[in-house]
Amino acid sequence: MDDIFPTELKARLEQIGSADIVVGIPSYNNARTIGQVVRAVSVGLAKHFPGQRSVIVNSDGGSRDNTREIVLNSESGAEDLLLISHPVHTSYRISTPYHGIPGKGSAFRTIFAVTTQLNAKACVVVDSDLRSITPGWIELLGRPVVDYGYDYIAPYYHRHKYDGTITNGIIYPMTRVLYGKPVRQPIGGEFGFSGKMAACFLGKDVWDTDVSRFGIDIWMTVTAIAEGFRVGQAYLGAKIHDAKDPGADLTSMFRQVVGSFFSLMESYQKVWQTSHGCQEVPMFGFPFEVGVEPITVNTDRMIHALQQGVKDLGEIYKSFLSRPTLAELSNFVHRNGQGFHIPDQLWVRMMYEAACAYHQRKLDREHLLQSLVPLYLGRTASFVLEVKDSTAPQVEERIEQLCQVFEAEKPYLSALWDDTGKEAHHAQPD
Amino acid sequence: MRSLIDRMFIEPFQRLADESAHIIPVLIIVLVTLIVGGFLAYCARWLTYRVLRAARFDHLVNRTGFGSMVDRAGMFRSPSDAGARFVQAVVWVFVALFALSAANTPVTNGLVSRFVDYIPSLVAACLVLVLGVAASRMASRSTLLAAVNAQWPAARLIAGGVRGLVMTLAIVIALEQLHIGSIPLLVAFAIVFGGFVFAMAIAFGFGARDLARQWLEAKIRASVAEEEIFRHL
Repeated sequence: MDDIFPTELKARLEQIGSADIVVGIPSYNNARTIGQVVRAVSVGLAKHFPGQRSVIVNSDGGSRDNTREIVLNSESGAEDLLLISHPVHTSYRISTPYHGIPGKGSAFRTIFAVTTQLNAKACVVVDSDLRSITPGWIELLGRPVVDYGYDYIAPYYHRHKYDGTITNGIIYPMTRVLYGKPVRQPIGGEFGFSGKMAACFLGKDVWDTDVSRFGIDIWMTVTAIAEGFRVGQAYLGAKIHDAKDPGADLTSMFRQVVGSFFSLMESYQKVWQTSHGCQEVPMFGFPFEVGVEPITVNTDRMIHALQQGVKDLGEIYKSFLSRPTLAELSNFVHRNGQGFHIPDQLWVRMMYEAACAYHQRKLDREHLLQSLVPLYLGRTASFVLEVKDSTAPQVEERIEQLCQVFEAEKPYLSALWDDTGKEAHHAQPD
Repeated sequence: MRSLIDRMFIEPFQRLADESAHIIPVLIIVLVTLIVGGFLAYCARWLTYRVLRAARFDHLVNRTGFGSMVDRAGMFRSPSDAGARFVQAVVWVFVALFALSAANTPVTNGLVSRFVDYIPSLVAACLVLVLGVAASRMASRSTLLAAVNAQWPAARLIAGGVRGLVMTLAIVIALEQLHIGSIPLLVAFAIVFGGFVFAMAIAFGFGARDLARQWLEAKIRASVAEEEIFRHL
């Protein structure tokens, strides 16, 4: 672990010795929100894990806005917030820069290493740009691990119907269908996991891939499920972020998340090919209705993105989409406004064919993933138009329908995955 | 009289016979070399084709995207056929060199020697061209995807421009390797390219100053606005 820890961090960890719970907060220029997150975490630890030795680790990507100073100096105010007169056991705080490729995954790697080094029973990670975090989140994510022997707890939030479209349209249905566990927010950003799980993550050789960036969330979730760890979910209420996300660029995010997922399909091919049906994932916490912030979406711009993609990237699509899929896409792409629609089956086939093309390296993988962005935007526009007047439960029902189409088409994926004859279909015959 | 007949008819025939005695074996050797070499070249092509097919070379080339290029060229049945014909051509070149060496005349020897000296430059130029094609294709596709994802209307034009630029650069370097008009070519390329960039900068600076400002402002505002309203993950 010498290559992971900076010298100062190594000395600090030797000084601390061991801990029961580690809370990790990755950050990059989050001075606006991180103070509130650290206070919520401190109070959560004091209130829900009062007898445990806890450490808050901020793994920072080189912030230039005093993020690290705020982490180290913000007062928890636990006594006032908990309405108690005796002093509470405070957590150790560490703020350290991480080594490696700049990204969330590299920040997490340092947190895994700290958890392993301190022999902690549990680790909870939370985003540093959260505005809706409460001390209760620490209990909900940590308690199932500490007291009930779970290895991995994913978050469950209420989100706006237009929010989290990569999750709703690709990652949730595919995770559920391929690995048989309906983890509703597999790339949520907040997780709880055991020390054993952290050691497992740390032992994988993935830190020079997209896992070191935005691919980390889906990689953790799929690894936990596919390697047979005990997985649960925790109901956290609403998730509200800071408005500005400095690292958020759609193409990069999409490429990293979807690329990591496709790559995991290769790593755990035997798991998903032999997995059937769907097992329930236990839920912790008390579900309650929450209001979510309104979101406006420019569907015209998204439809235009798809139309331009189909017009300009035709050669690329021809190299990995089958002729029937391409023909169907061409039929739907030219409709505008309310008439615009991408059917579920077409979308599912496009995703499965893309996953197989990634596996069979039909074209450069970066190019393949980038070329999916217009298709994704088109599908998102179609979904937004479709659920415009729907309530939250109706939207959930709609996502359930999509999952069923992914399930029904799974044999198509299995058949295509190792079908080299299919390649001849795209290739130039002799 | 007899001496005159000898000088007029017998001696020329004698000389012709002597010359022929020297030339005919050489010609036979050259001819046999060409026939055997041609057969060897054909065998090399046949064998290479079989080996490439067995090694799934077509599949490999199609993955890299060169397959469509081979197809568009319309000269070969498949990438394996192209590879096999290339090997045949190389064998033919060596057979021709061997045949010329067999002639063993000052002219052919000079020709062979000059050609052998030229081979490294030829190989380097071919390599530059192959790399240039690969690089231009890669750069063009990357540009196209970036431009489409940024929703630029002239995405294909920009990608085509990038491809043309990289290919032009590769051709100039390859010609320079072959010592074909190297200095004038480099100078011409520098003038044309520099002039193009300069003209574009002036045109954009004078003619589309407001447009550039508006476009940048709209771009910055749009991207901030989108981040504020929409979370994909």
